[in-house]
Formats: sequence, C-alpha cells, structure tokens
Amino acid sequence: MAGESGFDTFVDDLPRKWWFKLLANWIVIPFWAWLRPTPPLPGGPRPTPQPSENVQRMMNLVMPLKDKSPLGRAYAAMAVAQNVNEIFAGLDNVGTVHFARFVVIGDNLCMISVYDGDFTNYIRDFIATVGSVFDAIMDLVEGGEAVKPCETKIDAFIDWIHAHDLFQAPDLPTDLFRLQDAARGVERKREPGLLRSLSREYILQLNANPNFSLGGGYRAYPGFSVAQVRQKLGVGW
Amino acid sequence: MVSVAFDRLEIQGNILRGYRRNLVRHLVLEVRNRDAARRFLGVAAAGGSDDVPRITNEAPGRARPDAFFNIGLTFAGLRALGAPQDTLASFPTEFVEGMTRRALKLGDFGPGAPEHWPQPFDNPARVHIVASIYADFKASLDKAQAQVAPAFTIVGVLDGRSLPNQKVFFDYKDNISQPRFQGIDDPEQRRVDEPKDPLGTVLLGHPTRFEGLEFGVPVPRELGFNGSYNAFRVLRQDAAGFERYLTTAAERLLSHPDVGQLLPKGEEGWIGAGLDRVGALREIVAAQMCGRWRNGVPLALSPDSPLPEPGVSETNFDYPRGSTCPAGSHIRRANPRGGQIVQRIANRTRRLVRRGMSYGPDFDPKLPDDAERGLLGNFIGASLGAQFEAVMYDWINLGLQDPDITGSNDPLLGANEPETSWFDLRLRNGGHIRLRGFPRFVWARGGAYTFLPSLPAITYLSKLTG
Amino acid sequence: MTEEEMAKKAVEALDIVPGGDTRRRPVHTNGVGVEGHFVASEAARDYCVAEHFQGGKIKVTARFSNGSGKTALHDGWSDVRGLAVRFHLEQDKQEERAVDLLAMTLTEFFTPTYETFLKFASYTNPEAPVTRQSAWRKLLELLELIQPALPAPYPGQTTSSVAGALRYADEHARSELSIFHAAAIGAPKSYARAAYHAVHTFFAVAPDGTRRAVRFNWVPVSGVLNTGPEDPVVDDYLKSDLQLRIKGKLGIGTDPEPVRFILMMTIGETGDDFDDPSRSWPPHRTRIVMGTLTIDAVASDQDADGERLSFNPWRLVEGLEPSNDPILSLRRNAYEFSRKRRGGVAGCPFSGV
Repeated sequence: MAGESGFDTFVDDLPRKWWFKLLANWIVIPFWAWLRPTPPLPGGPRPTPQPSENVQRMMNLVMPLKDKSPLGRAYAAMAVAQNVNEIFAGLDNVGTVHFARFVVIGDNLCMISVYDGDFTNYIRDFIATVGSVFDAIMDLVEGGEAVKPCETKIDAFIDWIHAHDLFQAPDLPTDLFRLQDAARGVERKREPGLLRSLSREYILQLNANPNFSLGGGYRAYPGFSVAQVRQKLGVGW
Repeated sequence: MVSVAFDRLEIQGNILRGYRRNLVRHLVLEVRNRDAARRFLGVAAAGGSDDVPRITNEAPGRARPDAFFNIGLTFAGLRALGAPQDTLASFPTEFVEGMTRRALKLGDFGPGAPEHWPQPFDNPARVHIVASIYADFKASLDKAQAQVAPAFTIVGVLDGRSLPNQKVFFDYKDNISQPRFQGIDDPEQRRVDEPKDPLGTVLLGHPTRFEGLEFGVPVPRELGFNGSYNAFRVLRQDAAGFERYLTTAAERLLSHPDVGQLLPKGEEGWIGAGLDRVGALREIVAAQMCGRWRNGVPLALSPDSPLPEPGVSETNFDYPRGSTCPAGSHIRRANPRGGQIVQRIANRTRRLVRRGMSYGPDFDPKLPDDAERGLLGNFIGASLGAQFEAVMYDWINLGLQDPDITGSNDPLLGANEPETSWFDLRLRNGGHIRLRGFPRFVWARGGAYTFLPSLPAITYLSKLTG
Repeated sequence: MTEEEMAKKAVEALDIVPGGDTRRRPVHTNGVGVEGHFVASEAARDYCVAEHFQGGKIKVTARFSNGSGKTALHDGWSDVRGLAVRFHLEQDKQEERAVDLLAMTLTEFFTPTYETFLKFASYTNPEAPVTRQSAWRKLLELLELIQPALPAPYPGQTTSSVAGALRYADEHARSELSIFHAAAIGAPKSYARAAYHAVHTFFAVAPDGTRRAVRFNWVPVSGVLNTGPEDPVVDDYLKSDLQLRIKGKLGIGTDPEPVRFILMMTIGETGDDFDDPSRSWPPHRTRIVMGTLTIDAVASDQDADGERLSFNPWRLVEGLEPSNDPILSLRRNAYEFSRKRRGGVAGCPFSGV
C-alpha cells in the first residue's frame, strides 16, 4: 500500500508469524496476566430478571476424567449407560430439562443440557431424585471424591458443578468489561476505558477460563419452558 | 434417615413459633470490639444478666418476659467475631455472598436494587448482627436496646408493629399459614391439617423432606447443629399504588364481555355489604391476586365470597386440578402445597417460616399517601438456596411451576413492570381474563442473610479467641 | 428549545458543509429505491392489529442506502447500511395511508439521547483527515494486546470519522457496543445479504388490547454475507447487484429471483431498555415471524421512488405505537426538517398535529 514502509508491512504481518505467536503466548500474555489479575468467571448463565433468559438455559459441564485412557473412557460410558432408568426418572420428575446429553470429548466427560429456571434448583432436584448417578460419575472424574456422596454434600456438590460449568461469554461483547469489574471488585472510574482493550480483556479471560461458551446459545423458539411446550403439544406435563 | 436427639431448649425461640407481640425492633449491629461482643453473647446465651438481655429459647409453655430477644449473624459478622477459616469455609455460598450479591435472584433490581438501599444496608460490610427485640411496650424495646448498645455499634434501628386484626398493608390478613414440624406441638396450629414437615426443613443437622439429602452443617458441629438461616427483608409496600391499581382494574373489567363470569350482576353484596360494582370487582381482583380474600378466607374454599356460609377453614385446603384459586396467586406461588407442579420433586420441599411485622405510618385508603411503609420480614429455613431463593427465583418470579403462569411474576410481590406484567383472573366457567399493566407494588429497601445459631452455638462463638 | 429546534440542530450537526447539501439527505445519502410487496404471516395478526399485519398483499416501496453522508459513492467501504420500507395501505378517500419502518445493519443506535447525539456528531466529523498509526505505535499496541486502532484506509480515502467514534466510545460507556459493532461492520456482498434492525422500541397492540414492547428486524432469506478481506474494493456494485439478482442474472439461476426478507418481531421483557436505542436486547427473547417482504423491481424512476421519498419512523397506523425513546422522538421532526430542506415529497403525516 502506498506510503507504507517495509517496517509497516513487517509489523502488520507480525500476528501471523509463528515466532511472534510464541512470544505472545509465553511472554506477553503471562506478563499481562500478572499485571492485570483476572479471576476466572463463574460458569453457566447469569441470573437475570427476564423470563426468556430463565428458560432454556445452557449447561456445559466439563469433567476431566481421572483415567485418561480408552479404559477410563469406557468406565465413563458404562457409568452413564448403567443408569438410564435413573436418568429418565430424573428428567421426568425434575420437569425442567429440555435436553441432556452425556458426551466424552478428549479426556473429559461432559454433560450438556438445556434446562429451565435456577441452576441450583435444577441440580438439587436432580440429586434428590438420582444422586446415585452422580456418585458413580464422581468416582471417575478429577476432584470428584471431595463432593461425594452428593446427597449429603449438596452445597459443595452444587458449587463443584458450577465451577465445572463453562463460563458463558456475554452475548453483547462489551458486557465483558462489567463482568470483569465485578469479579475484580473494582468500579471502573474512567468509563469505559479503552474500547479497543476489549481484545486484551478477552485474551486474559480466556487465559483464566480456557474452556468457555461463546454466548448463551441460540434458540429456535426462545422463551418457552419444557412444561409450556409439552402442554401446547398436548403430551402432558 | 438418622433421628437425632433434639433439645428444644437449645433453639432460639423465634424459629419454630412466633411470639405474636405488638412491637418489634431490629437492631443492626456492627462488631467493633470483638471481646465486648463475645462477652455479651456469652452472657446472653447463658440466661442474661442485669446488663445483658437473655436470648429467648424455644421453651414449651414458656414464661412471658417483657421482651423477647434473638440474634442472627451475617457472614461478615461471623468473621468479625473471629470465626476460624475452616468454619467460614463451611457455610453455603449464598450465605457467604450475602443478600446484596444475590440481588438478581431475589428480584432486587430497578427501584429495589441494593444500590438504592438506605443506611445501614448501603454498607453490607458493617452489617454483622441483626438483633430482634419483640415486646408489647416501647419501654421494653428501649431497655433492651440500652443493654445492647455498650457492646456493639448500632448502625441501624428498624421499628415494626403489628397492625390490628393480623393485617398488613394492602389490608390483607396475614400470618395465617406456617409450616408445622414433626415433634413440635404448636397450640396455634393444632387445627391445621397440612402435612408436618421434617425438622430439617428449618434446623440444620436433621432429616429434610428430600429423601437422603441433607443441608450442610457448618463446622464445628457445635456451631452448625440446630442452626437455621434467615432472609431478613425490609420490603416497602406501595399501598396507595396498590389501591389505585385495584380501581383501575375494576373499572376496566366493568366493560369486559366476560365480567359476568367474574361477578354476576346482583351478587355485589356477597363480596361486601354496601359495595357497588366497582367496589366489589376491586375486592375480587385483590382476592385473586393474593389467593385469599382480604379477610383471610382462601379462594380455594370460597371462590365467590369472603363471607361463606357455613364458614371455611383458613388453613386446611389443597390445590386439586381445577382449583378455584388462580395458579398465579401469591399464596399458591409461594406454597403450591400438594397441587400439581412442574418440579414434582419440589412439592413441599421449599417451605419457609415467615415472620413479619409492618413498619411505617398507618395507611388510610380514603386519604392515600406515598409515605414509606412496608414489612419487616423474616424468611427462615435450613437452606437459603433451596428454600428462600428457590421460591423467589423460580416461583414468585418466573412462575416456572405451572405452564399457565410461566413468564409472569407474582402480582403482589413480583418484580413487575406495567409494560410486561400479567395475571390471569379465574372465571367461574374455568376461563380467564388477563390483567395487565400493573407496576411493582413491593420492593426491597434493605436486608441481610443471617445465620440463626443455637444457644450452644452462641456460647461457642463467645469463646472464640484471637 | 422546541422539538423543531432540536430536530434542526440534530440535522445540522450531521452536515458536512455548513447549511448542508440542501438537495440530498444529510446521512444515508446514497441509496437505491426498490418496489415489492409484503405478506404477513399467520401469527402476525395475533400480535398486532396493524393493517399490514392482517395477511393481505401489501404494496411496498423501499430504499436501501449506505450510511455515509458523503455524496461520493463507495459501496465497498465499511459502512452501516439502511433499509427503509414503506407499507402502502388501502387508500382512505384522498389521503395516502402508509406505515414506514426504518432499519439499519447496526443492531443498536450510537447514543441514547439528543444531548449525547449532538456530542457524538461533534466527535465524528466525516471530514476529519484519515490518520495512520505509526508502525512503532502498532507494535506497541500489539504488545499491549490491543486491537489495531484504525483499519488501513481504502485507496483514495482521505477522510474518516472512525478515530473520532473510537474516542467517543472511550469516554461514553453507553456507546461502546454500537461503536464496537460499527467498527467491524464491513461491506455487504449485496443489499439482499444483510440483516437490518429497527433499533427503536414500538408497542404492538394485539386484538385483545395487549400492548407489547417490541423491536423489528429484517432477516435476508438469502443469508448474511460481507465482502471478504481479500476481495477487491469496488465503489459501485450494490445497485447493479440488485438489478441482476432480481432479473436472475447473478449466475444462481436463470429465472428472475426476487429478493426476500423475513420480518421478525422481538418481544421485550421486564428490565429491558424500552426507551434506549443504544442498548440491544439480549438475543434470547421470544421472536415472532411477522411476514415476508419480496422485492421484485428496482424502481425505474430513482429520483421519485427513492431520493425524493421521505420516510419517517412515526408514520404508523393503529396497532403500532411509538415508545418514549428520545431518539425516536427526535427523528420525527428531524426527518421532517430534512425532507423540507431538500424538497422531498410524501409530506408529513402529522401536519396538523
């Protein structure tokens, strides 16, 4: 481009250079992470007053397997497969789960679900009905013993699940500033700070929350609960 | 399920039963001098002295002191008293975070947001203890306050009183239905036939209604066992706005094609002597929003009149299919009893003990004014998360328990805005008329999550060192 | 200050030369007039009694536009695009009856109020010379993990308001989202391949009298697609793209292929901003499919059916009501002032109000 020196071009190309990426990952980002401590943000959807935010909420539970081998994954598969009755009983009684899937991704057992209402009620009601399923799973995942049996350690268990539920990056990207301010316990004095620093804040946040969900998910018919859908379709609730 | 030996003398007296006094004074205390505070608690738990009020316990046929005295501690308060780290870490997250950080779950946003709360709740870090004095005479309150003052910094004083005839602002008879507990004989509840709740509903360390599920007992057990949690709420009530809305709704209903299914012509007198049609419709709207007529008679048993012949029980009813009590009404949202709800498992697991007194000047509906008045409420249970927050977040607001009300908030207590609020009035033919456009009538002006320790636990706290 | 004076000031704040170019619109200056029709969905009438939502075939004229207020055409430059739609209703005696819906590719407006709008306009002078960051500055910002401040200028570009907008965002938190979005908005492959948002809240009145706070947006049936970073930057292609597309000569098929958009209506909820167009609603609100817009011709008389048409977001009909959004209020008189200044037709629907 006219008027650009060779140095300009060099700088413009830097982000694509392998050695610059190395430098960024090993020095620049750790430096900033040290300078601007960024606590991991909590998982799951955030509480809000809007009904449509409180139905069809997304849980992306990622639980690292203790045994990261085909055998370990097989045990995880078995733990879930042996509890199908329990899972159905939980679904039907809790009444607020749209979809739930167990998947093994890498060395993680993941439970991915869409549910209505408050997260802690969802987990608590589920444990009250089918706690044994989660006890079986807790045996297989890192840190699981500490919250077992989940029926009698229900508060700790809910906190554990919350900590393993993926952070959901805000649907409106600039909302990240506010979430971080709250987590860092600061009030942004000069509002709102450099807008372009949003890129840095995202890098630091993804450094603190390596797994995350981009936004709260997309829905074809947002705003309706399990029971509303079932009622409307005439299949009972 | 383990049955645990239980000595009711060790429980604070405001948990299982109410005192039914004329006056209450809640003192919001900051622990400035840890030693003075501990000494005070030690003496108070051991029976009091000339200088320290006695903490009232749960004694059957107890003597009637001039003043009943109870305390609750916030998480900041436990820390200020020097509770060790492993103790602090054993409390549940919602209590650790405190009421202000749970604001969105409780509907405390907009005018009810904590940033609008006045002193002392504008600074939760200084809210350490809420000490409550119940008495019939102001002199007794003053005396107890004078006894408390030397040991703490009093950062807030909130006075409440019982309105005549068990009424609250909005003119409903309140404090009718409370949980009953297994093994506890409450003479006032002998004629109530609701199922008894296990003691673990309200006290830590006992079985809960969730089979096999126990709420965590903070450590050491001496501190946590037989403890309870309280959501202390200062709730402002817009009495003028409420009465105004009743008139607006009634006037709109007058011309509604289905109004005859709500109030057949000529039946105005069943609603109240001398009422005109608007006046009668106002009472019907008020009754359906609450689930009770303003005199306390439940719609579930008497849908068409507040003065049924013969009379009906105020407490003994359920919500079968086709119940004459609207699913969206306040009392049915707060306690769906045995009725069908989406979360089958949650029937009767979210029970709360409620104790409330009114604050602020009298309200005269004929001369409405906007003075600040409302309710000083205690919402007590063994788990703030599983009970108080669960009721507030999923049931009072959102209405998740029944697809017919999902997406709407409690018409009386909910976080409503005129643009989005709705409530379905139930018609006699089973149909409904949807009311819209009502504002928020109740919003928080303060509050705190407190732990209500047993008497041995208070003694334990008094002996902390360091 | 009267509302008319505020409107005048607001329009003049956008003028590039003092007094403005009195023949053209002050912003969204270049555009293409088109014709077509709208058919409401089966669900629409349950949510809004407005005439064009009852299901009949409604004649439509519309104008696509580039957001820039400059007269020189640069379709390929990054810019907000507009879609203004007029629904022509049944004529009542002599009076022309219509509803206008004005939308743009940005999901929210830049500012919430009149005062902030004037201030924003003062920061975003389109005649500000393009500034370049030095290579050293860019290097420093890379090490600060900060996004590049400014895109490289397009060939021939000498002025830009981007730097001013970013500076405004740094000082005004309420505007950071819109400016963040605007900075990355790019250029659409086609006017038919962009989504357009009507940013303001309106109230839709249902047959049972229910008033719902709603926002509208147009979703292109052919999908959303921007030009790629490697594509050549072309100054004039959007109008011919529409012409070719409609004639079926884009190479997709040989039959004429009308351009279609779905009109979606999002229902607001407790706690949403009804009066603030600078705040998007979160994307999980209930959405109603209100109908399909079919554009089957580029207007043959671009002057009469595009440039001289004057849209106004307050041209509404029973069943659609404005919110108290101060920017929406401002637009009512600002569009009217602008129309008069450039001698536009289709007069004010509120003369006599």
